[in-house]
Parts: sequence; structure tokens; C-alpha cells
Amino acid sequence: MAVDNILLKISSVRKNFNEVIALDNVSFDIKSGEVVGLVGSNGAGKTTLLRLMSGVYRPSSGSVTLGDDTPVHLMRDHLGVVPESTGLYSRLTAWENIRYHSRLYGIDDSVSWKRTLKFAQSLDMEENLSRYTKGFSRGMRQKTALLRALAHGPKVLLLDEPTAGLDITSARTVRSLVEQIKLEGGTVVYSTHQLFEAQQVCDRIIIIHNGNVMADGSPEQLINDNGCETLEEAYVMLTQAKARVRFEDSISDKGLTKIWNKLFRPKTPNLQLNQDVMEDE
Amino acid sequence: MSKSTQRIKTIAKKEVVEFVRDWRTIVAIIIIPILMFPVLFIVFPVLLESEAAELDNKVVNIEIQSNQYPMYLIESFNESYTKLTYVNATFNDSLSLPLSDLDRVRNMEIDAILRLNYTDDIWYYSVIHLSTSESSTEAKNRIISSLITFENNITELRISEGGLEVDSTLDPLRWDGDMSKADVATEGEQAGLILSLFIPLVLAIWTFSSAIQPSIDMTAGERERGTLEALLGLPCTRNELLLGKWLGVATITGVGVLLQIVGLLFAIGYLASSDFIGIPALSIGAIILIIISIMLFAVMVVALELALAMRSHSVKEAGSILGPAIILIIFPALFTQVINLDGIESFWFGIPVINILLALRELLLDRVIIEHVAIWFASSVLYASLAAYYAAKQFKREDIVTTLS
Repeated sequence: MAVDNILLKISSVRKNFNEVIALDNVSFDIKSGEVVGLVGSNGAGKTTLLRLMSGVYRPSSGSVTLGDDTPVHLMRDHLGVVPESTGLYSRLTAWENIRYHSRLYGIDDSVSWKRTLKFAQSLDMEENLSRYTKGFSRGMRQKTALLRALAHGPKVLLLDEPTAGLDITSARTVRSLVEQIKLEGGTVVYSTHQLFEAQQVCDRIIIIHNGNVMADGSPEQLINDNGCETLEEAYVMLTQAKARVRFEDSISDKGLTKIWNKLFRPKTPNLQLNQDVMEDE
Repeated sequence: MSKSTQRIKTIAKKEVVEFVRDWRTIVAIIIIPILMFPVLFIVFPVLLESEAAELDNKVVNIEIQSNQYPMYLIESFNESYTKLTYVNATFNDSLSLPLSDLDRVRNMEIDAILRLNYTDDIWYYSVIHLSTSESSTEAKNRIISSLITFENNITELRISEGGLEVDSTLDPLRWDGDMSKADVATEGEQAGLILSLFIPLVLAIWTFSSAIQPSIDMTAGERERGTLEALLGLPCTRNELLLGKWLGVATITGVGVLLQIVGLLFAIGYLASSDFIGIPALSIGAIILIIISIMLFAVMVVALELALAMRSHSVKEAGSILGPAIILIIFPALFTQVINLDGIESFWFGIPVINILLALRELLLDRVIIEHVAIWFASSVLYASLAAYYAAKQFKREDIVTTLS
């Protein structure tokens, strides 16, 4: 389905967390009906970018707008978000989890129930809707989170590593659902670090590395533009600089906690170990 | 109903439903609060009474070492379950030194030894006992009780031998009539005074402590479990989220506090039936002000707890901050109990926590002093607003979506 109208616009976005620059000068558009893959290593900035697109974060500079240049945080009812952690309440049933979000979107229960049933059939989840999510497998949790994100009929679906940690069958089911949404003209932003998956599912791939957009195009375009034979080769060529650590992993202790932790930091053996082992041998 | 109100209601409802589905919560917010005071005021005294009755029926072994055996004393012992043995003795050392009897009492061969030495019209005595043994303590108590009767008999005998009237000599100053009728405070006011020693303390400590768990669960818990991120991507504002969660915690805490007061009133009602305490007499104005003061206190406490829990990166961190923070309530609560309300300076009603506790004490005595009400109301609104502002600030932080776990 070829569509030209721009739905989501990311313009010169920069995102800082104190001194750490998570994203720098990121710009691209997402058109209606596109399935766009955000590909990058851990710490590349995919999750930060998705959080900016979902309005959870605000850009330090630049803008993220939806439709007619309205900041995305004011248009969140047009978005469906599946965070990496799925974010399900274990003491609620799958349907209660879905209904809770739908109600906060202002959707009538009967409408969200109909939509849920439609997609639950595709995901083979009808039987599980009345079950508490406490005992759910990772795959079932992911499917429930997908149903929850779709129940209010969003214009854009934002998926953060939706197949991470899933078994082969569940991952395949999730990808099939994205295919189904694509066929129905839906717009999906799909963050992953699985290249084959991005190639299989996405019309367009944006490679992010250390907070910068390194490439943006269809899988074939990325391969041809870089003179490579596979997407993996193109990815390796584009991301040669050493990957940085995730922002969350770089959070350091402050004040009294810093002094306290310094006092009780365990000693790590130095790198003499290899030499000692060699001498023993 | 506006969309915003609808969202706040949805959030609050979900928080309560999710919290209540844990059976431990039901125990914590319903069973324990409703049973605490009845157990403390009804069951505990019954238990004490039955233990005391058991001790009364216990047979104890008492040895009397003396150079003389007064009949009055011996007869008073025979009335109880006591086995007496007699040893003729003369004493050279202090009667209190156990000497060769030490091991006998320690090994509980004998429960207690009464030593009596009659010299120059004076009965010198001591009781060798083991204070860590219930039997020995009971034996000692029976000896002391008999000795008091014995001493009274001797005193009366000597007064009468001296040609004096016993009753007027021993009791020359007497209250005339029914002492309780001389108190101009009504029964309701007296009941209010007793309640004012309990209710502010219970309300303050229970409101704070019962809000800890839901506050942590709904903030740091959500952050740790990753459910907060999904919530922050929804169209509700951070203030709606805070209000919804506040309403959820306040409902859970409110139910807990209410049930505890029901339990307390039930216990008081039970005691009132035995003339121990009356029903407090409160005007409608005092009751309304009590409700307002509790609500303001709850707004402040719950907002503060939500803010502190939201600041924390994990449930563990939140617990280690909010747990010890209860000291901020316990100390003022205990301190407030000893403040004299008569002629109290008005500034006390402007100090956080203390202001509400003092207000509750005054109102339970049905004292509505406009100046005090104005000060505690204005200061409480200010503190509650500051706490709500601080909580709103915490909820608007971007890093609440990240977790260290």
C-alpha cells in the first residue's frame, strides 16, 4: 500500500540526560501505512527514540509531531505502545489489562472488546483473555500487550523489541500480526536488533548507532547503497564505531550513596590472572 | 463527568481492585485494623484475668522461719492455697541475706521464705524469693498481703490499748459523698478526654503506616515491574495519574483507618457497658472539623509518601526510605499527648503533624476554638498543598520511567 502523507515527523531531535547525549540531531518522517524498523545495538538510542515518539520523553531540542504538526504528547490517543517490559498488571486478567488502557484512551468497553476479539483470534489468545496474567509466559504477555495497544484503534503502533525473549512460534505469530496490520493499512514503528526480522517485516529500516541515524531506507536500498551483499554486512559497515553503554547503565550514584558504595566496593582481581594461569601451566 | 475525572476514577478503581486482590492486603487493611483494639481492650484483659485466676488457685510452698508465730498471720495464710512449713530460727545476720537458703529458693524446692524476728515490740521481716519465677512471686505477694493484714491488726490493737479511737486515728481525713459527682465534666466529656489520648495517635500512625505499602506498590513497584512506562504513554496527564493513585492509596488507607476506629469504638462500647467509659459527646461542628482535619492530614501524608516512593528507583529503596520515615509521625504523636491543652499557645497549631494531632485532641473534647481552627486549617492546607506540589513534581520527572533493576 503506497501512501505519501506524513503521519509522524521527527525533526532535528536531540535528547540529553544531564551530560549524556542519548540522541543527536535525529530527523526522519514516517508515512501512513509504513512499517518502519528501528535497528541498532543495545544503547543505540532505539528505546529513547520510541519514548520520544510515544510522548513519554520530551525532546531537549527539535520536535516530534503527529499529523498536522501537533506535538506527539498532545496526540497520544492516536498511538498504541508496547514497551519492552510489556507492562502488564499480574493481578488483573488479560482483558482487564486491555480494558484499563482502553478506558484511559476514552474508548467504550464494547468497542475495545470487539477489536480485542478480532486480534485475539489472530494471536490465538481468546481462551486466555479471562486469565490472570500472573502465570503468563513471555509470549503470552507480549501478545496481551499487543492486544492492549491495538484495542483503541491507534493510527501508529510503536513496538519496542516485541519479539525479544520469545520462542520461535510466538515470535512468528507477533510478526504475522504486524503483517496483518500492514495489510490493513496500519502504521508500525518496530524496534529490534534482529536484522533478519527487520528485513522480513519492515518496508523501511532506520539504523541507529550511538544516538545518530546512520542510514534510512528500504532493506534493498541499504544493501545497494553500501555496496554490500547482505543487510548484515551493510549494518556492520555503518556501525563500526564502538557501541556505547546504555543510558540506564551509565547512571552513577550521587552524594552519600556514592561515598558509601566507594567504601564497600569489592576489590576485583587485576589482570595478572592470565599470566598466573600461564605460569601454572 | 469530564474525561479527566473519568480517567482519574479509572486509575483509582484499578489501583484498589489490584491491591485488594492480594489476600494479604485484605488481612492488612480489614482484619488487623478491625480486630486490633477489641483484642487489645477485650481479649487481652480477659486473658490477664484468667492467668490471674490460675495463679490464685496455684498451691505455693512457703516456709516461715521465726522465733515466734503470731496466730493472726498464720490464719490469714490458711485461707489461700498455701502449704506452710515452720522452722524455729534465731538470726544473727540481716534477714535479707539468703545465706544457706539461696540454693533452695533458686532450685524451687520452696517458693518463698518468710523470715520474722520479734525484738523489742517490733516485727522485723524479709521475704527470700526468686523474682523470675511466677510461683515464687505469687508466694511473695501472698506473704506481703498477709503481713499487711497482720500489721493493720497490730496497729489497731496498739491504738486501742493506748485509749484512742481506732477509726478516727487511722483515717482522720475523708472525702464526703460520691467522688464522681464532684467532677463537673460530663460523662461524654470524660469519654472524649480518654479518646483524645488514643484516636489522634491511632489515626496518625495508622494513616502513615497503612499508606506505605500501597504507595510503594503503585509507584516504585510499577516502575520496577515496567508497568509505569506503558501507563505514561497513555493520554492521561501526570497530574491525573498522581490524583488517581492518590485516590487509590487514600481509599485503601481510609478503609483501614475507618475499620480501626470501628474496632476502637466497639471496644469502647463494650467497656462502656461495664461503666468503664461513657460515649463521647461531640457537637456537629466538632465532628465536621474532625473529618476535615483527617482529610487534610491524609492528603499530606499520602502525597508525601507517593512522592518519596516515586523518587525511589526500586521497591527496596522506597521501603528503606518510607519505613524509617514513620518516626516523623510517631515522635510528634507521642509528644502531642503530653502537651497541656489548657491555655495552649496558638503557634503549636501551625507545626506540621502536631497541628492536626492537637486539633483532633481539642475537637474530641468538643472544644471548637476559632483561632486554633483557623491556624490548623490554614497551615494544614499549606502543608497538604506543598506535599501535593512535591508529589506532582516527582511524577513529572522524566527518569521515573527508568529503573535500576
